[in-house]
Amino acid sequence: MSRSRLSATLIVGGVISVLFVVAALLSLVWTPYDVTAFDIGHRLQGPSAAHWLGLDHFGRDIASMILLGARNALSVSLVAVLLGAGVGAPLGLLAAARRGWIDELVMRASDVVFAFPALILAILITAVLGPGAINAVIAIGVFNVPVFARLTRGSALSLWTRDYVLAARAAGKGATRISLEHIVPGLLSVLIVQATLQFSLGVIAEAGLSYVGLGAQPPAASWGKMLADAQTLVAVAPLQAIFPGLAIVITVLGLNLLGDGLRDRLDPRLDEDR
Amino acid sequence: MKFRAVLGLAAACLLALAPAAQATPKDTLTVALQLEPPNLDPTSGAAVATDEVVYGNVFEGLVRLDAQGTVKPLLATWWEVSPDGLTYTFHLRDGVRFQDGTPFDATIVKFSLERALGPASTNVQKQALSVIRQVEAVDPRTVRLRLSSPDSNLLYTLAWGDSVMVSPKSAGSLATAPVGTGPFRFASWRRGDTVTLVRDDGYWGQPAKLRQVKFKFIADPAAAYAAIKTHEVDAFPDYPAPENLAQLRADPALKVVTASSEGEVILAINNRAGPLADLRVRRALQYALDRRAIIDGAMYGYGTPIGSHFPPQNAAYVDLTGLYPHDVAKAKVLLAEAGYPNGLDLTLKLPPPNYARRSGEIVAAQLAQAGVRVKIENIEWAQWLDQVYGRHAFDLTIVSHAEPMDYAIYDKADYYFGYHSEAFHGLMEALKGATDEGQRAAILGQIQRRIAEDAVNGFLFQFPRLGVFDARLKDFWVNSPTQNIDLRAASFDGVGGAEAIASDKAGPAGAIVGAVLAFALVGGLILLAVRFGAAYLGGRAAVMVLTLLVASIVVFAIIQVAPGDPAAYMLGLNASPEAVANLRQQMGLEGSAAQRYFDWLLGMLRGDLGVSYTYQTPVAALVAERIGVSLPLATLALILSVVVGAPIGALAAARRGKAADALVMGLTQVGVAIPNFWFAVLLVMVFSIGLRWVSAGGFPGWDAGLVPALKALALPAIALAAPQAAIIARVTRSALIDTLAEDYMRTARAKGLTASQALWRHGLPNALIPVLTILGLQFPFLLAGGVIIENVFFLPGLGRLVLQAITQRDLIVVQGVVMLLVFAVVTTNFLVDVAYVLVDPRLRRRGS
Repeated sequence: MSRSRLSATLIVGGVISVLFVVAALLSLVWTPYDVTAFDIGHRLQGPSAAHWLGLDHFGRDIASMILLGARNALSVSLVAVLLGAGVGAPLGLLAAARRGWIDELVMRASDVVFAFPALILAILITAVLGPGAINAVIAIGVFNVPVFARLTRGSALSLWTRDYVLAARAAGKGATRISLEHIVPGLLSVLIVQATLQFSLGVIAEAGLSYVGLGAQPPAASWGKMLADAQTLVAVAPLQAIFPGLAIVITVLGLNLLGDGLRDRLDPRLDEDR
Repeated sequence: MKFRAVLGLAAACLLALAPAAQATPKDTLTVALQLEPPNLDPTSGAAVATDEVVYGNVFEGLVRLDAQGTVKPLLATWWEVSPDGLTYTFHLRDGVRFQDGTPFDATIVKFSLERALGPASTNVQKQALSVIRQVEAVDPRTVRLRLSSPDSNLLYTLAWGDSVMVSPKSAGSLATAPVGTGPFRFASWRRGDTVTLVRDDGYWGQPAKLRQVKFKFIADPAAAYAAIKTHEVDAFPDYPAPENLAQLRADPALKVVTASSEGEVILAINNRAGPLADLRVRRALQYALDRRAIIDGAMYGYGTPIGSHFPPQNAAYVDLTGLYPHDVAKAKVLLAEAGYPNGLDLTLKLPPPNYARRSGEIVAAQLAQAGVRVKIENIEWAQWLDQVYGRHAFDLTIVSHAEPMDYAIYDKADYYFGYHSEAFHGLMEALKGATDEGQRAAILGQIQRRIAEDAVNGFLFQFPRLGVFDARLKDFWVNSPTQNIDLRAASFDGVGGAEAIASDKAGPAGAIVGAVLAFALVGGLILLAVRFGAAYLGGRAAVMVLTLLVASIVVFAIIQVAPGDPAAYMLGLNASPEAVANLRQQMGLEGSAAQRYFDWLLGMLRGDLGVSYTYQTPVAALVAERIGVSLPLATLALILSVVVGAPIGALAAARRGKAADALVMGLTQVGVAIPNFWFAVLLVMVFSIGLRWVSAGGFPGWDAGLVPALKALALPAIALAAPQAAIIARVTRSALIDTLAEDYMRTARAKGLTASQALWRHGLPNALIPVLTILGLQFPFLLAGGVIIENVFFLPGLGRLVLQAITQRDLIVVQGVVMLLVFAVVTTNFLVDVAYVLVDPRLRRRGS
């Protein structure tokens, strides 16, 4: 694969991802229209010069709703990734540094989490905690923990056999210090790549949870909920179901491309697809 | 010669059959209901859906109500009431038999009523029936009821579904196999999908015109639209999607009937404490509401505004909708007066129906204009019963009060909205003493005014009854005083196509499950028996068992803390605490958690997953039924994803670095990024609603034939397979690229094969190994990953079972299904490990 297409992946993915973040941040301060004011009289209008993507079933501007949905998707997935990496990576580091029963415990615990189909576990968690964005974060984050724990442990284990780590060990450095000074810097690129990919999985998962009504609650806008609302209207206003779906696809596509591009760039040892 | 004779015979048979099939008018009816009954025993719970399906069709009582709400004879032909009102003597109809052959006589009446009043009874009307002191069988055709006090409501109570006559022979199994004296006999129940009734030819009265009636359960508005539009169902008496009624009206093959119901949709306010105890705040909320916008926005214009808790069609109705005109400024002034110049924060808890969720969003937006910041919480019915109705933990909620003339709830201080007024109590007392209709109407008017002036609740609109029917259907009676769908007289006009009659054979589901599990187990054992790496595999097996054990504890623990009492959920709003306690006992919900956990665990080891709370059938049987949908769906999706994904991946690998490769890889990136449920919606738009090739949802069952069943699974399988195919394509491509670098490929080229020949003959088979590994790992996830897809397409599979069980608090089903899925994942992982050991001998050494 030529060098130029690789960076094309990175560029396209990066641009989409940046746009996604900008849209989310922009919605904090500005949206084209105020979506808290319903305009029932004009509902389900198609795209027009005033409303580029049309109006939804309550007469809200769909473009504005999409911007607000980006904020929701970004915050839920980002926090879920941070939660997963924040808990999982230290566990993985610890398991690699200490080995023995701690290692065994961490691995077996992640086996247990992996034994649950992700969506079922998320639905179970939101059923107990109640629906809402914060609980969606927890439901998605729980599944991110073992992903980061395993990845960190695996990569850390191979770093522990490196010469410079062995040298540090011979110099009498403790396991904690070696982990922080020598292992963590070596892990960063792998973790960043994985974080990007988990991020995109989080966007899809959040949309799925919101679609079945377990994600963000109104009036917060969510792409999954917009799709659920639009679905009953497919016979009346099919366009309603198009835009939020496109928003999800483009965002996830962008994040995946960014992840792939970063992997090729940051981790030259890896083959491009595996 | 022989051959021709056979042919002739076959032709003769066809000729004999064909006209018969075409000339008869359509005599099978499919009625869609939004909710599936939890069980089919109308005497044991409060579920409206139970009465809708069986009351009047399968079961009958001594008396019934007609459309005007007057009591009419049914199994009792006439009756006398003693002058003191303490003795009722019923004269019973002759020649009535239950569908199980039991003759109906006075002892049956005695049995049925005493059963409803007995200590173990969970009958919702137990309270109302308890006025009966004694039931006496005077002679086979005469029954005498002695009351403890006069009760003019008794005849009405006897006309409810809760008071039907049951046969002692079948009384124990009514929940799953109802037997009554009605015009239809219960035939089968495909849980999550349909209940089928067939005409009872031994019926005592005028036989039903329909040969077969199916009740199909469809709650999703989009699925409802597709089902009625494509004539998959003939009647939708309570249609859930007002948004597309206008389109259905335009269809000459359908008729749309809109009527008023007894239901008032209210924004219920917790009057007990805090800012909402202040009349000024409650009045401010009233001024902030714009009923017209709510009705237009949530109900697409269907529904009548109300100003108090009273239905407009009643003679005593007083129009109070003008009492608080929409006036945001006034609302703000009132709030400021009450000490909230900067507004206030309130929580609005919304139960699942669309009318509540949609109205809730609009109400929140309207209140926000007046400075009331509303936080919406969407909750399930089980949580609503627990939090709002039971513990009064709410500020606002939206709910439809469907019971007729239920203003008495404003006289109960411990009712969930907590209104207490001496003045109102006085009016209720005066109503009891009212002697004539005029006086009664005047007091009812004052009652309405009192509630409205005290701004107890926000009164939004009268719930519309929206029905959509096949235009040929006639005499279909949705009885509004009692909750039943009476089909004894229903029939179709004209001539209709013949329909395949589904036989009631047990599906192949159980056999499939058994076969798969046995296959997995035997496969594992055989591989173990090969004894390679026994120590390693032994270790893996121990880990597998440990994982399963820990997972079972996790599942059990999560379920224990899930809010909502399943018993309270099943019995509904009017259940007495005693009935709930009885049911909890019966369901085995009492006892310590540890005890229940071990019971459950030991049961599972025996293959016993317990008995479903709501369906009252073994969970294992339910699961077997549902797996008959989920397993073929997952398999189909898997096959599709390989058939599409692998060649695409191979193509890309063959053209590595060229434009075709870039294009394919770009497409797979998009494929991975598409959420499968959105893809599903797009497929429905194109193929069901647009082209009408396949139905938009539902599952006819395998006994309806292979083709219809596969047709129903086609779109769901495609939706499920699409992202999977993209993954497979990517894996295949990279695996192939790896193999292309191997020595044997160079050898293949050296012996004279072209690049593409070498690729297809030697590269692909070798590259398939990693692909198959991925497939093995994906399969259990496809099985569970159908959750959302099954919801989009209304397939009665495992995923829908689990979602539905969660909302109905059927915890034992949730536990069972989740454990089954966990078992599938863990077993597959184990088998993959085993396979690796066989393939890669290095692992054996590492293990030992």
